[in-house]
Amino acid sequence: MSVQRGGYTFEGLPLADVSPGTNLLVTGPALGGIRTLLLRMLLRGDRREGTLFITADTDGPTTLSDYAAVGGEHDPMRVGVVDCTETGVDDAGHNVHAVGSPNDLTGVGIEFSSLYESLYANGAERVRTGVYTLSPFVVYSSVKPVYRFLHTLTGRIRTADGLGVCAIDPDAVETETLSSLAQAFDGRVALRAENGETAIRVEGLSDQPEGWHRIEV
Amino acid sequence: MVGLTIACVDGDPEARRETRDALVDGGHDVVSCGTVAEAADLVGTGDVDCVVTEYSLPDGTGLDLTGLIRERSPDTPCVLFTDATPDRIDSARHEDVVVEYLPRDTPNARESLGRLVENVVAQRTQVGYPLPPDEDERLAALAQYDRPGLDAAETFDRLTKLARARFGVDVAFVGVVDAHEERFLACAGEDWETLTRENSMCTHTILETDVMVVEDVHADPRFADNERLEELDIEAYAGVPLRTPRGATIGAFCLTHGEPRSFSESELADLRRFADEAMEQLELRRQLDETGEEGDPTTPPSPGTDTDRPAESEPDPETESATGPRDDHGGEQP
Repeated sequence: MSVQRGGYTFEGLPLADVSPGTNLLVTGPALGGIRTLLLRMLLRGDRREGTLFITADTDGPTTLSDYAAVGGEHDPMRVGVVDCTETGVDDAGHNVHAVGSPNDLTGVGIEFSSLYESLYANGAERVRTGVYTLSPFVVYSSVKPVYRFLHTLTGRIRTADGLGVCAIDPDAVETETLSSLAQAFDGRVALRAENGETAIRVEGLSDQPEGWHRIEV
Repeated sequence: MVGLTIACVDGDPEARRETRDALVDGGHDVVSCGTVAEAADLVGTGDVDCVVTEYSLPDGTGLDLTGLIRERSPDTPCVLFTDATPDRIDSARHEDVVVEYLPRDTPNARESLGRLVENVVAQRTQVGYPLPPDEDERLAALAQYDRPGLDAAETFDRLTKLARARFGVDVAFVGVVDAHEERFLACAGEDWETLTRENSMCTHTILETDVMVVEDVHADPRFADNERLEELDIEAYAGVPLRTPRGATIGAFCLTHGEPRSFSESELADLRRFADEAMEQLELRRQLDETGEEGDPTTPPSPGTDTDRPAESEPDPETESATGPRDDHGGEQP
């Protein structure tokens, strides 16, 4: 596979370019705009990029329509969804692949690998992967397979010069769990929503804006 | 990364040969077999770095095999290299084994398989626990303290017995955390020898900058469903990382107890002192070994030896990583 030069860009967000192969953990309250932030971070920089969603909180069709609402173009050759909700169904036309349960981390990993390979086979030069959210996987599975799943996911993304963006609501998991899960990521984007204002801050990555920066979600 | 030992599992001799040839061409050693049972025995020897398997096998599936591997050698990565599409793979009975998947019809599948195998081994992507960001450097540093002749068992036996009495706990131990397991250099109160990393609480302690305290194992989601801890009667834990003068964490000095309990600030301060003492003993032995001094290694250091500051002679792990750590995939035998 060929790889574009330069980093991943985030138009309209106070984030500098991120190097290929980077995995980011996005943390913030579930109702505070974190979903919109993740969707915007997954907007393709150009048509040679692909985007892959792993979704456990909302189903595939909802994910794709929400993606379109923030400006995402749904090209089924380059954009696809691994739908881990219990109501998810396969939809080849929209490149949605149902697993049936967030408990089935083996099945999620296989569908992810299959879809990731197919996006490259369809001509994507690099792929943005988003997980919304990690919380159901963590809550419904024991910790060992969750670590295995995260290492497998982030390892593939790192090796393929992809971008990984995984969202989690810190209030949905124990502090110790969040801290140890964070080890799998290169950096964190923290989101806060206070007094009607939403802001983000990047932690752990160099060459990023320092401090909190307001965003519209 | 070449020279890996890979188990290639496929019931179809022709397909097995093709996969084997692709991996051998990549510079790897390959052991081949056709069934789940044969492959499970192969992995049980502890000599296999990675398993590449077809999904459908004569006596089960590649996921059945992965399930057995997770019991016997949990860190060993598995790759499904298969004609089976995801919708034909029944993962419901093996929801928690987690494998890599590569379809045989992937463009340049042979080259992709070689890269994938090398990546999953190098990056340890199928381990069921968090990895420190400096894991390779950490293991290289551990190798400097983990050599024949550096045995500190008697000293650590004394230290752990003292600690057990001081804190009134069931068990006190000194453990080093290598690539796949924790090995107990001394263990007062029990005769534990090894514990797989995914079951060891010290796996998490080495991520900490200071002490890790778990007052009630059942209340901590990282350990609540860890059956091995229950078998070992571990309900409470406190551990301090053993950190080399250059900052690499190679193990921990720990206490465990069979009932939930807390640890006072005074107790934790003393536990840090025990850990400092254990690390100094290891550092002293490493320095004596390196300078080739003969005689009783328990002899106190000569005047002027200061083990509190970085030793000038401690090798830089970055330049000495060729000395690999013990790489024992064997199961736990505490």
